[in-house]
Amino acid sequence: MAERGKFKCLRCGHEYEDKYTPGVPQERACPKCGSNSVRRIEEKK
Amino acid sequence: MMDVGRHPRIKLLAYSEIEHVSGFIGNFNVKVRKKARYVDENDCTACGDCVVDCPVIVPDEYQQGLSSRKAIYIQLPQAVPSAYLIDMDHCLGNNPIACGKCQEACEKKCINFDMEDEILELEVGTIIVATGNEVYDPTELDEFGYRSFENVITSMEFERLICAGGPTEGHFVRPTDHQRPIRIGFIQCVGSRSDNRGNPYCSNICCMNTIKDTLLLNDHYPDTESKVFYIDIRAFGKGFEDMFKRSKEAGVKYIRGIPGDVWEDPVTKNIFLAVEDTTSGKVEVHELDLVVLSVGLEPRKDMKHLQQLLTLSSTADGFLLESHPKLKPVDAPTRGIFYAGCVEAPKDVKESVTQASAAAARASIILNAGKVQIEAITAQINTDECNYCGLCAKVCPYHAITAADRKLGIYPEVIQAACAGCGTCGAECPTDAITMRHFTDFQIMAQVDSILDKDNMDKVVAFACNWCSYAGGDLCGTSRLQYPTNVRLIRTMCSGRVDEKFVIHAFKKGAPLVLVSGCHFADCHYINAVTWTQKRVEKLWNKLERLGIRPERLQLEWISAAEGQKFARVMRELEEMRKKVTPEEVAETIKILEREEAKALEKKAGKAKKAEEALQTA
Ligand code: SF4
Ligand code: SF4
Ligand SMILES: [Zn+2]
Repeated sequence: MAERGKFKCLRCGHEYEDKYTPGVPQERACPKCGSNSVRRIEEKK
Repeated sequence: MMDVGRHPRIKLLAYSEIEHVSGFIGNFNVKVRKKARYVDENDCTACGDCVVDCPVIVPDEYQQGLSSRKAIYIQLPQAVPSAYLIDMDHCLGNNPIACGKCQEACEKKCINFDMEDEILELEVGTIIVATGNEVYDPTELDEFGYRSFENVITSMEFERLICAGGPTEGHFVRPTDHQRPIRIGFIQCVGSRSDNRGNPYCSNICCMNTIKDTLLLNDHYPDTESKVFYIDIRAFGKGFEDMFKRSKEAGVKYIRGIPGDVWEDPVTKNIFLAVEDTTSGKVEVHELDLVVLSVGLEPRKDMKHLQQLLTLSSTADGFLLESHPKLKPVDAPTRGIFYAGCVEAPKDVKESVTQASAAAARASIILNAGKVQIEAITAQINTDECNYCGLCAKVCPYHAITAADRKLGIYPEVIQAACAGCGTCGAECPTDAITMRHFTDFQIMAQVDSILDKDNMDKVVAFACNWCSYAGGDLCGTSRLQYPTNVRLIRTMCSGRVDEKFVIHAFKKGAPLVLVSGCHFADCHYINAVTWTQKRVEKLWNKLERLGIRPERLQLEWISAAEGQKFARVMRELEEMRKKVTPEEVAETIKILEREEAKALEKKAGKAKKAEEALQTA
């Protein structure tokens, strides 16, 4: 099941929210700079 | 098809489905479900006596629902084998026999309601996939009024209406009043070349199909007034431009513009189209008796299932990916499997026949040779190091590794003929028990060493996969695009080969920045090996962060062979990032990683000592 998660681009630093399915690798591109170095980050509690 | 049916060396299994495929090139085992027809195909003479009495009437799929068929039917007059079958979803007769009228009518007694599906197991050396395509359903495009207005039909429905074997026996009439339409409009690219609805690709055949239809109409009914609404006409095949010219000379009007609005006259049921003719810039309204939507082609709905069955991959458009677009256009990534026809991409009859001939030739070369030459780049398992974890078999995209069993002491084994050499198993094996021929750990580490031995602060270590990223770099070079010379490429066949320890080693040797790059997911030349790359890089980011090393220093990028521009841009961006990494940061990283290594060695030594002690007390 798709969930919403927070992502951070490791190229330009842009942070954004997007859908993802846990355990299913997906090609991602930063909406700001287009880089594929996008990492899902845990919400800071 | 008739020739195929009669050929002594071709076994035709119609009305059958593949349930399971295992094995590898030269040794495939295929399980086929031959579905029960409930009519003996050898005895049935297709006399049709059974049909007359069948009380069930359902839309005829072959005639696009423009006429009906019975529950006992033959799909099309030219079907091979030429025998009837019962559609059990609609038949009233089976279990308990409630009707059975067909059985009574059949003089030859071919009908048997107790017939059951048969499971066949076949040993085959090669497989050709020719499962065809689907046609786009334009219902979602409400601007064209399909299903709202009866006189708006698809090109497939047109085909049935003009065919002598069609529901009207070739008398071309429109649906509402069964009168012959005079003013006919064709709308092109319906469901094709659109990023919003339908599909983004060109369906390849629709322009020529429409041109053929206009000529056909002109031949049969010279008073027809055909108008074609198009974006651009793509008539690039042999003789195609000539056909296009003939169509124009025959009086067919070609109007460059796709109608934005379609409505119907409630009385005459004629169709009106509002369209901007982009050559004149004027908005025009055309009144037509019939509108034909030139619908595009789509991959089959069960493509995912087919991919799983045969270990294949698809391109972003959903059609099957070939082993190499130029050099192996009919080969699947899994060796011994070939493609023919629209399963690979939309194509016309000539192209399909060419491809089918090529696939048959490719397959028969292997069968005639009786043996295959295996690749030089394959994986090899050193059983002394293996701990039976089974990870290698799990990650192999080709199912080329047999299962390990710790209890029975069975080691995994690489089926050399099936291994494609992606190196994913080698990268994942936790005990380094796997050697990738020609891309060994030693060879790759040595490249990392030689890059960083001198002036390490000036270098970016970039792992690039052979098929996409490295080829993208090649294109960048041949296109004379500039990129910083600080980037040093290490080629692997697949990004899946990039072991965690290569990256860690690079950082330990003082790399300011490391890049892992491979094919876009949809272009992966090793089915789904790239997904393991992504997982591994994500794991590495977490690990680096945990150790106090900035994850940003490990970059990931998917670059296709056609993206020379992207390659140059990424390399420029990386160079900017590299400049911001300080010698202090790199020195700190080296310290952290050396500490980690010492800890790991200590742990290993502790374990070994414990094992030795246990051995002594025993
Ligand atoms: S991944 Fe390595 S250790 Fe695990 S079963 Fe395969 S070869 Fe053996
Ligand atoms: S190299 Fe790739 S294809 Fe070959 S056995 Fe390993 S994972 Fe499978
Ligand atoms: Zn970004």
